[in-house]
Amino acid sequence: MSAKVMPFAPQATMEMPILVVEDVVKRFDTPEGPLTAVDHMSFSVREGEFVSIIGPSGCGKSTLFSVLGGLVGGYEGKVTIEGQPIAGPHPAIGMVFQEDSTFPWRSVLDNVAFPLEIQGMSRADRYARARHFIAMVGLEGFEKRFPAELSGGMRQRVSIARTLAFQPKILLMDEPFGALDEQTRLLLGDKVLQIQQQLRQTMLLITHSISEAVQLSDRIVVMTYRPGRVKRIIDIDLPRPRSIDVVSSEAFGRYVAAIWSDLRDEASRGMNDAEARQRSSS
Amino acid sequence: MTDASLITSSRRLLSPVAALRIGIVAAVLGTWEIVAASGLLFRDVVPSLPAIGKALGQLLIDPVYYANLGVTVGELLGALAVGGGLGLAVGMVLGANAYLGKAFEEFLYYLGPTPKIIFFPVMLLWFGVDTGSKVAMGALSCFFPIAVSALSGMRQVDGVLIRVGRSFRASTWQMVTKIYLPAMRHPIVNGLRLGLGVAIIGTLLAETKMSNQGLGFLIIQTYTTFNMPRMYALLITLFLLAIGLNALIAWFSGGGAARKS
Repeated sequence: MSAKVMPFAPQATMEMPILVVEDVVKRFDTPEGPLTAVDHMSFSVREGEFVSIIGPSGCGKSTLFSVLGGLVGGYEGKVTIEGQPIAGPHPAIGMVFQEDSTFPWRSVLDNVAFPLEIQGMSRADRYARARHFIAMVGLEGFEKRFPAELSGGMRQRVSIARTLAFQPKILLMDEPFGALDEQTRLLLGDKVLQIQQQLRQTMLLITHSISEAVQLSDRIVVMTYRPGRVKRIIDIDLPRPRSIDVVSSEAFGRYVAAIWSDLRDEASRGMNDAEARQRSSS
Repeated sequence: MTDASLITSSRRLLSPVAALRIGIVAAVLGTWEIVAASGLLFRDVVPSLPAIGKALGQLLIDPVYYANLGVTVGELLGALAVGGGLGLAVGMVLGANAYLGKAFEEFLYYLGPTPKIIFFPVMLLWFGVDTGSKVAMGALSCFFPIAVSALSGMRQVDGVLIRVGRSFRASTWQMVTKIYLPAMRHPIVNGLRLGLGVAIIGTLLAETKMSNQGLGFLIIQTYTTFNMPRMYALLITLFLLAIGLNALIAWFSGGGAARKS
């Protein structure tokens, strides 16, 4: 019975793209006129791959996240999953949000079982599957606790377990550890890496942390600051399976330096822009 | 050691707040009894406490009282169900839909504080002189505070929780029952408490105006027959009923509140 609820991840086939983003443009109307958040972005993610999208604050990363998750429409271009264009939230995509998104009135177990409850799975089955993913993120023994009794890092792990329980083909994460301290980030990043390797889960991570992106990714898409375009796509040729020790290797440092040289101009443009806005508003 | 434990136990028995509360109640009752005994006012306007106590005792073994209590409680529950259900639905729709919210929100704020008793003749025409018009008055009264609470509660629901529900492809019904309503539990309970208060006012007022059953009717009956001890006894039971219902609502929300924080 337990074997039935265990997820069987498909063998990673590194050739076929599972997610294709083609020429996506997303504009917003603002009081100062139209703002292009995402400008002709194209990239693809292959099955089993870990791709990070990195860019300075305000580069449209989170907009892209909402577009891929099907939460916003009204964009140009095409997003396809296994050749099928998306219209609204797609069952193949599971989202993990930047903010604390646990339901405060639900226990850890009921939080993680939530997507299964939505699908109409029986109580026994959904609890069995929820327990499996709670253990996977290392929260065994906390099933009966409520979010208010957990730390921020634990709550984000609950969110990750909840989205894993949805068993999406692609796990889409928007700075899931953005609000956490650096050491917790590093350890949780490693946890994600272990889970990714165990499930051969296709993952797409949106982040502004260079070291996090290098630690986890097979490929990194570097974005420009406003309008958000693809500046460069970098293959991260670090050995797999990867452990937390990778962060102290020499190759790791070289990748971080290379990405920083790409991002420096974008980040300082973003900072100057933000300061100019501050000045004009005061 | 015994001294210390005595002090702590006496502290626990009588905190300054509890002492003040008991003191005020004792002072009110004492004043009441003095006025009653002094004969300054007409004897029956301020009956002595033993007389009220006796009337209360008689009331509590009177089947007529329970029949009328049942009518009033039934009307109140009906009013809360109708007015609360409609208020919740209207508040949630206006909170969820910016366009409708903009169009109708002001009506809630303007109509909310108007005295509902002026609609009583209309309710009598529509729903008859029996319990129907009383339920309608109670429902009309509690609709507004519950709708306003639901509307603001709807807007306070954390946006990310809504996005989580959508990303897991929850249906509209699932969004309402599994995300919006639990997330809004505290404002809804607050609205219910406010609504209960005004529903009691609306229902009882209607009963005192025109009816032949219910607690409001009994109170007016004792007033017209000048049976003051029985009238005060009825008022006491009415207070206890209001407090009890309020405590019941608080208890319902308490389970969730304790878990949440």
